[in-house]
Amino acid sequence: MKINHPVKNTASWLLILLIGGFLLFPLYWIFVTSFKDNMDIYRFPPRFIPLRATLGNYLLLFRDSSVILYLTNNLFVSAGTTLLTLAAASLAGYSLSRYPSRFGRAVATSLLSTQMFPIVGLILALYVIFRNLGLIDSRLSLVLSLSAVTIPFCTILIKGFFDDIPRSLEEAARIDGASRMKTLLSVIMPLSKPGLLAIGLYTFMQAWDDFLFAITFILNDGKRTLSAGIAMKFLGEVSYDWGMVTTVSVAGVLPMFLLIFLFQKYMVAGLTAGAVKG
Amino acid sequence: MKKNEQRGDRIFGAVLLVPSILIVGGFIFLPVIQSLYYSFFDYKLTRKKVPLTWNSFGNYRSLWESGKLQHAFSVTFQFMVIVVVLVFLLGLVMALLLNRGGKGERAKRTLALLPWGTPTVIVALLWSWMFQPEYGVVNFFLLKLHLVAEPISFLVNPNTALGSVAVAAVWKQLPFLFIMLLAGLQGVPSEMYEAAHIDGAPPLRVFWHITLPFLRNVIRSSILVTIITNFKQFPLFWTMTGGGPMGRTETLAVLAYKNAFVNLNFGAGAAVAASWMAALIIFSLIYNRVFREAEY
Repeated sequence: MKINHPVKNTASWLLILLIGGFLLFPLYWIFVTSFKDNMDIYRFPPRFIPLRATLGNYLLLFRDSSVILYLTNNLFVSAGTTLLTLAAASLAGYSLSRYPSRFGRAVATSLLSTQMFPIVGLILALYVIFRNLGLIDSRLSLVLSLSAVTIPFCTILIKGFFDDIPRSLEEAARIDGASRMKTLLSVIMPLSKPGLLAIGLYTFMQAWDDFLFAITFILNDGKRTLSAGIAMKFLGEVSYDWGMVTTVSVAGVLPMFLLIFLFQKYMVAGLTAGAVKG
Repeated sequence: MKKNEQRGDRIFGAVLLVPSILIVGGFIFLPVIQSLYYSFFDYKLTRKKVPLTWNSFGNYRSLWESGKLQHAFSVTFQFMVIVVVLVFLLGLVMALLLNRGGKGERAKRTLALLPWGTPTVIVALLWSWMFQPEYGVVNFFLLKLHLVAEPISFLVNPNTALGSVAVAAVWKQLPFLFIMLLAGLQGVPSEMYEAAHIDGAPPLRVFWHITLPFLRNVIRSSILVTIITNFKQFPLFWTMTGGGPMGRTETLAVLAYKNAFVNLNFGAGAAVAASWMAALIIFSLIYNRVFREAEY
């Protein structure tokens, strides 16, 4: 469908600008706010380009060691979750792709059904489980619960990637006398890098986003992750310190933006895989 | 020899599944079963171990009689419908307008993905700041355009609170729909359009008879994902409104969490969760049935 009519053309550009503005202006706005001093932040009408940009909020943020701690904890938990999910989901996905069985199909169906379960609804039972395991206030509880959430989707996704790899490769490896495990690790895995990258990125972003598990299972401020830390530390009951809130938001957003800039292609492949094919 | 090989395959295939089964089974399915179980008992979180007592559906009854469960269902449903409709329509418009291929493809996608990559709690903060009554930039625009006479307290006013949270949700989820629908549009063979063009079919007919049918799979799966995401939404509400003002944004997620961790009444929280899961399962069965029938 080509739009050639001049009026239609202007209208469509206007729409693009409106939607684009809606999507991008808020990001510009927290970014700009984080560079303003309090005088400028609480000015109405607001200034869209700060007259005197200041790094004051950033200096305050990084002088306070807790934000760096939150970021480190978040990185630690997200990386742990990603590794565990990659390992478990790629093994399971490979099994579903190459060794189909009735048991495997039952497992796949159960995995898919977990997407229905509201995690907020399960969290109190999970809390009791972790309390019995002695894992309350441990970052391991976050890694385990986040992995449980990401493994199902990642397993189904990576199975699709494995399905596209020709089986003749495995037959050849087997004739050469390679064991099943060796074939998987040294022939199939290296060929699945785009798929592994897609599920790894998905998992990392999901884990980075976690708020619910962190506010529930972690009580000690030193072990808090980013979202929970921000909510607990910077959101007062009465008024918020918007300079600090926007600054810490920028700090929390930048790692994700970096991943998007670097790996956009793989993320899109992961998001659209399956859905487009049907 | 052959038989041995087959047995080996079966064992190997099963062993590969074990880590996933353990993690997902232990931390999703076990809690599901336990939640169902707790929902039938008096279960309050206390330091001492108190034996659970069966309260003959008391948790369900009191939730129902107080009207809170119905209210939470209704709020969740309203929120979900607003977000899904907006996200789908805006995403479709964006995908249709930007489906031109060529240069800028990468930049378009990258820029569009930024809101999607923003952590949910930060989305909540960002919009709380934009919606701030005294200094908020949204109020500034509305005043400037003379759309309102005085600033609105978006998150405190019962008439605007749910809509305001919905705006934040739309902002974060729109990129997902856009990316999905764009990928779907790019999968429509261009010969189809050429043929329609030669036949002189009007654009709206082309859209209805060629584009939409090709998009059906994408639409089905991306809308299902969006529905489920919004049915489960928690961090936006917890950070932006906490279920207020006057319960106007008290969704199932907020109600379940409040019962369990604020009132420390695990039994009541579990009852909310159980009703909620039942609704989601019934819904997805119907959803898939409807779409399957539409295919024939």
